[in-house]
Amino acid sequence: MQMKNVSIKKKIGIHVAGGPSHAVEKGPAITTVAAMPDRIPFIKPRLLVKKGDAVTIGTPLFEDKGNPKLRFLSPGGGTVAEIGYGHRRAITRIVIKTGKTEAHESFDPIDEKGLKNLDRDSLIETLMDRGLWPLIRSLPYRGIASPDEKPSSLWVSLDSADPFHVPSHLYLKDKEALFLFGIRILEKLCHPVYVCETEGAPVRSGEIAPLVTHRAPAIYPAEDPGVLLYHTKKSPDENLAWFTKGQDVLLLAEGLKTGRYPTSRIIAVSASGNGNGGGNTAASRCVDTRLGAPLSSLLPNPETASNLRWIAGGIFQGYTTDPDGYMGFYETALTLIEEAADPELFGFLRPGLFKPTASRAFLYALHKKHFTAKADLRGEERACINCGKCEQVCPVDIMVQFTYKCIYAGEIEEALMHGLLDCVECGLCSYVCPAKIELAETLKTTRQDYYQDRI
Amino acid sequence: MGRIEKPLRKLFDRSRPYFEKGRRMERLKPFFEATETFFLYPAIPVEKKPFIRDSLDLKRYMSIVLAALMPPFFFGIFNTGFHARNASGLSTDFLSVFGEGLIIVMPIVVVSYGVGLFWEGLFAAIRRHPISEGFLVTGLLFPLTLPPTIPLWQVAAGITFGVVIGKEVFGGTGRNLFNPALTARAFIFFAYPVQMSGERVWIAVRETAGNAVDAVTGATPLAVAALADPKARIEAVFADNGYTFQTLFFGNHIGSIGETSSLCILIGALVLIATGIGSYRIMAGGVIGALATGMLFNFFATPDLPAWFSVNPVYHLVTGGFAFGIVYMATDPVTAPGTDKSKWLYGFLIGAVAVLIRVVNPAFPEGVMLAILFMNIFSPLMEYAEMRLRIRRRIPNV
Repeated sequence: MQMKNVSIKKKIGIHVAGGPSHAVEKGPAITTVAAMPDRIPFIKPRLLVKKGDAVTIGTPLFEDKGNPKLRFLSPGGGTVAEIGYGHRRAITRIVIKTGKTEAHESFDPIDEKGLKNLDRDSLIETLMDRGLWPLIRSLPYRGIASPDEKPSSLWVSLDSADPFHVPSHLYLKDKEALFLFGIRILEKLCHPVYVCETEGAPVRSGEIAPLVTHRAPAIYPAEDPGVLLYHTKKSPDENLAWFTKGQDVLLLAEGLKTGRYPTSRIIAVSASGNGNGGGNTAASRCVDTRLGAPLSSLLPNPETASNLRWIAGGIFQGYTTDPDGYMGFYETALTLIEEAADPELFGFLRPGLFKPTASRAFLYALHKKHFTAKADLRGEERACINCGKCEQVCPVDIMVQFTYKCIYAGEIEEALMHGLLDCVECGLCSYVCPAKIELAETLKTTRQDYYQDRI
Repeated sequence: MGRIEKPLRKLFDRSRPYFEKGRRMERLKPFFEATETFFLYPAIPVEKKPFIRDSLDLKRYMSIVLAALMPPFFFGIFNTGFHARNASGLSTDFLSVFGEGLIIVMPIVVVSYGVGLFWEGLFAAIRRHPISEGFLVTGLLFPLTLPPTIPLWQVAAGITFGVVIGKEVFGGTGRNLFNPALTARAFIFFAYPVQMSGERVWIAVRETAGNAVDAVTGATPLAVAALADPKARIEAVFADNGYTFQTLFFGNHIGSIGETSSLCILIGALVLIATGIGSYRIMAGGVIGALATGMLFNFFATPDLPAWFSVNPVYHLVTGGFAFGIVYMATDPVTAPGTDKSKWLYGFLIGAVAVLIRVVNPAFPEGVMLAILFMNIFSPLMEYAEMRLRIRRRIPNV
């Protein structure tokens, strides 16, 4: 099939320093792992274990109250050490202390031939049983795909869209056959399956190269499945599509092929800047570890980075987390950036040679070098002045300032017509807003509320 | 933190408790915050994703507009002082001219800022929202559109009308329909016409030397043109009164404080365009609109019609407040359309209407103020129309 280049006219250069080195390091041995139910959108978890229970890798930990067939399995074998609750007793984490030797729940291995003989329904059932189904998610709402849906296509993004991610040639190394098997599984679920890579990716091996159908420009967030869908769809019938990430395809394939719940994960650990406390404590690298790994295990000496902001899942779309937290089911990036520092005398009057901006309002615009990211709002919230910066960067051409005002006025129907459901939650609108309005967050919560019939 | 920041920080930290909820000066919190963040640019942790943010904020945004206003502002001070001393027969060396200009112009600016800030702060205190930086622009734009002889109480009345009726009654910054500075100017223009037009308002003479002319009068280029014989060419009439194209472009002639020098305004426009703060679409649209309409009138010009019909359209750009209006007033993002194509149309129509008023309506020598206010009304409609068109092009996703 002819490779399609997805063209996206809007270009915003965000050059954050501190990306991971392109070498995979083996992480240290891990004694605790966790599942993080509240990081999985739209599910209502019901616990299937209690504190002190013995579990093996693959024991169901919790299920979705709305659909009990949707089960989430344990990423470790040992005993349930802690069940953490958050706001309104939402289950935030199920921590498992792993034993010396971890037992596996074993399922029947399924190979290429076995896959051929499975029909779609029994494949879906198998994936559900084995806790692999949540790896497949659904557009436009980005929750776990529902087996009853009729998706128009299934998108696999090889490289994540976030500035810091594990490059696909790293996690695909020596796993080409497994990836191919994963694509065969997906093809059974949905036709067509599109695989997208980023421009400038290293040349693919013979097995992977023919699978790649699309190529996106190397700008954030061009490789987001929502952006790809928006720029390739021809009719409203295509709005419902499924997507998954390159690393998750490997998990899917491994889970079927070995009959064991897969737990391997490569995580991009990035530290922007060098940390205040003692040199380059948070070395940027790719760490080969496992699902639900504790964050502190990803750094050589995490205690020196405690004054930084820890973000799991990318600086644009992730979550702030405590250093004693764990990686969630979907997340493949841990980013550490500096916290907002001291106030600056007459900050707004300075020429700003090193004030990162996508605009031309500082001298930084003359060189646009990589900058040290800071979790700093860089201003205060104000009323919208209709400057239109948000609209200029939206990758799916939403007129964000007007959509925001529709939401503000309670006109949800109007907001939907503006393309609210095309929003890919990339966060660029919030990034550029000079009035520091939480545009992306507003659009996201409105989409979720609409999905859950709350508005 | 440096040597200056630390004591400042201490000072603000010590005063902050008095402005907290339930304390005596709770209502004055917006003032406290505005002062604090003016000196110490805040470093606020990001709470929601994305966790990095652009450095551009409204303080920077408005500072750039103010910076772009500096060339016409300083030239206005110089020019006002020059004409005052020239008419008085006093020496016109640079320093005394500039000093004279400062003495005439600064009270107007101070009253505009002071009274405006009072209203801005009053509404901020009652509504409990921060003081918007946008006012710093309004407070300087307004004085620059006034004749130097304006009584200070009228400045106060004007800025009051502009801030309260032009902005706050609509809900404050970001919700106003009309440009507040222009609303203020329109109010003064219609309420106190004697002080806003005629031949005696443009030169602010404070003292006269013995050999000075008895009555100091001066007609602005637009006033000269309005009286021109229809059969004459306006270019010639201008030149006869000392208003050659060069004079008009460089701006060493009488007029409102900040509007005379097209060159200084052009520098300001370049700053706004280079930094991406002012919309080049509106400015270019306005220039095209004025030139096109001017040419259209040239086409219909006959000796029976007013002399303005036959003028070279380029003169429209350098006379009166056209340049000032299209560069600083029309590009106000709140009252201009927020969509790109509408910006072209909006600018074009402002240019066209301004020239239309100038040429065919002798009752109003200046058209750009009314043109912008008029197009402010239509800006939401243009925005809406373009929005509909763009939504129609989307593949629906509902």
